[in-house]
Amino acid sequence: MSVLQTARVPLAIVALSVLAYHLAQADQEPQAARSGSTQPTYFVEHPDHIQPGLSPRAHWATLTNPYEGNAQRIAEGAKLFISYNCMDCHGADGSGAMGPSLQDGRWHFGGTPGDVFQSIYEGRPDGMPSWGGRIAEDQIWRLVAYVQSLSKGHDVATENFTGKTIARTGH
Amino acid sequence: MSSPCRVSSLVLAAIVAGCSSKPSSTSTTASTVSGTRIGSTLAGDKPGEWRLPARDYASSRYSPLAQITPANAKNLHVAWTFSTGVLRGHEGQPLVVDNTMYLVTPYPNVAYAIDLTQPGFPLKWKYRPENAQAAVGIACCDVVNRGASFDGGKIVYNLLDGHTVAVDAATGTELWRVQMGNLNRGETITMAPLVVKNKVIVGSSGGEMGVRGWIAALDLATGKQLWKAYNIGPDSDIKVGARYKPFYPQDRGANLGASSWPGDSWKIGGAAVWGWVSYDPELNLIYHGTSNPGPWNGSQRPGDNKWSAAIIARDADTGDIVWAFQPTPHDIWDYDAVNENILVDLPIGGQTRKTLVHFDRNGFAYTMDRATGQVLLAQPFVPMNWASGVDLTTGRPKVNTDKATAQSKNVKDICPSLEGGKNQQPAAFSPRTGLFYVPTNNLCMDFEGREVTYIAGTPYIGGNAPEKGGPGGYKGEFIAWDAVHGKKVWGIKEPFPVWSGVLATGGDVVYYGTLDGWFKAVDARNGTVLYQFKVGSGVVGAPIAYTGPDGKEYIAIYSGIGGDMGLLIAGDVAANLPYDVRERGSTLPDLARYTSWGGMLFVFSL
Repeated sequence: MSVLQTARVPLAIVALSVLAYHLAQADQEPQAARSGSTQPTYFVEHPDHIQPGLSPRAHWATLTNPYEGNAQRIAEGAKLFISYNCMDCHGADGSGAMGPSLQDGRWHFGGTPGDVFQSIYEGRPDGMPSWGGRIAEDQIWRLVAYVQSLSKGHDVATENFTGKTIARTGH
Repeated sequence: MSSPCRVSSLVLAAIVAGCSSKPSSTSTTASTVSGTRIGSTLAGDKPGEWRLPARDYASSRYSPLAQITPANAKNLHVAWTFSTGVLRGHEGQPLVVDNTMYLVTPYPNVAYAIDLTQPGFPLKWKYRPENAQAAVGIACCDVVNRGASFDGGKIVYNLLDGHTVAVDAATGTELWRVQMGNLNRGETITMAPLVVKNKVIVGSSGGEMGVRGWIAALDLATGKQLWKAYNIGPDSDIKVGARYKPFYPQDRGANLGASSWPGDSWKIGGAAVWGWVSYDPELNLIYHGTSNPGPWNGSQRPGDNKWSAAIIARDADTGDIVWAFQPTPHDIWDYDAVNENILVDLPIGGQTRKTLVHFDRNGFAYTMDRATGQVLLAQPFVPMNWASGVDLTTGRPKVNTDKATAQSKNVKDICPSLEGGKNQQPAAFSPRTGLFYVPTNNLCMDFEGREVTYIAGTPYIGGNAPEKGGPGGYKGEFIAWDAVHGKKVWGIKEPFPVWSGVLATGGDVVYYGTLDGWFKAVDARNGTVLYQFKVGSGVVGAPIAYTGPDGKEYIAIYSGIGGDMGLLIAGDVAANLPYDVRERGSTLPDLARYTSWGGMLFVFSL
């Protein structure tokens, strides 16, 4: 079973759960008052069900990279990074250019191996191409391993400009 | 056109005395330098307005307004400001027509019409076009837009996702919308269209994406395409025909736009038209540059690669090429030739010549005959070492072979860097001083060529070129240039590349801004800084001058760092979350200390 197939099902389940939640709310409205609450009667907290953004338990985020930390696969990923023109968008060593930096430890679409896999596989709306049909999955995992190796130690929370050189600290 | 105004529209004395029914107290009556004249005129031009990107067809960026002078410029202050609501590189400039100011933002390319007659400057309208988000990641060098043109009651501009739109200037209603660029082929559009004889002249970006560059004319009334010409490929595609008469022998012959490339590599050879367009109504020629050839790695495309990195003169009505010239044949340094072509008549060798003055990325300033394409003079205007000069018998650079880049070779310390001695940020010309005012870079690079595969919609570059400051301990300089003699007259050194456009005025004050956020008013004759103000974010836009309803002269400029230098080098260019401007590499390590993202219009007056 390909990653694509396994991925679609849980996403669909998430969507269905949200729908089911709303339907349940509609049903509950008449008798949902909680003791002592000043909220309108239709207000029910469901912190476990709803949160901003995609649930971290979504399928992609739970994938594990078979090559994580594998130096040889990371080196192969570095070559793929050049041959698929990733470098020309994301800069040498992923330092950022047309596309965002992959070094700074800040992830627009999530930084787990599965998130990064998804970014490469499906693309992202700001112009990241969808490579799922073009790059074999084992090669994408090599790219993920390489990309994740780039940001080690580069995530900077504080830049202090008052000294002779810029001090960068944090994380 | 037979009006006597045509002859010297920019000598304001003539306009005011002989042609305008509404004399303006703000225009200058002082004389111009003998033998100089801005080479084109705009029908119905009013001194206090700014209708085209560079104000006139000649791309002079000269306003005749003269209230602000070296004597009183110290009294300048901020009159009002406006937030565009967008935090990206604000290249380009506002327009002012009929007491209305028109702004176009970077992506998502929102347009605003501001009523200058009302207190607080309320909006007349706001136009938010559909604009595909994917364009953000296809644009090479930030999501900039270089502005609109006004003509026939329409505001015309380009969208990053490849559309050209026309909007009713009175109401903001979209009148037409035409897809010109194809995102899937790497084509975005950032350039400002020029309207010439009811034709909207448009080109695309994508020289880093393996596009096949083109330029087209659309009917101003309907958006219908009137002609389209590629810049590379067979003669029929690039519109080389009976009128084609280049000046130099090496540029004559059939199908050079294809035969100067290996195989059919011209099909993905770049030569995009992402810079400025000029027009000479007397010759009926439009002038445009073309981008670098693709890929940067020249080992994959031996030959001259015509007509990449070229200046091209085309018939405005048909698009036919009349002449073409490559400042950098077989470019292997990313020296696009898209910088503005300023059309000025200059006294050279005892006679007045119709010249085209062009400050190329390659570091040479070219003074050319704009009727024939002959190079009259070419001199370095920044520190450079890739060539020792230009051979005037052929127009070709004398390349220093030590600095020739190639695949699998890391060539060190090439000057200027791929950002060029000057990039797209446009220069200005004053007929009152006879000088050009030029924003320049002083950067060098190492360059390592690398084999690259073409994958449609992804970059087609094949090179890595880390940059550093050039010799002398400064990284940019604002200079005054004498194009008759090919000499710098004065300069103001800056710690960062000067990435703003320039305004020259009849009051002999010139204006520019800096990456670290200074707006500066400078004496046009000697470079004395008369006034400066620290705006909110680094300046990469171009200042304009206009007359307000109160009769006062105003100077307007965008603040909002970005563009290639502002963010490719200095920041996390594609961050959705505009935290800051981050150091990247060692080119501008200190810039983040002085500026962060912004998107504001600043307007100054006495």
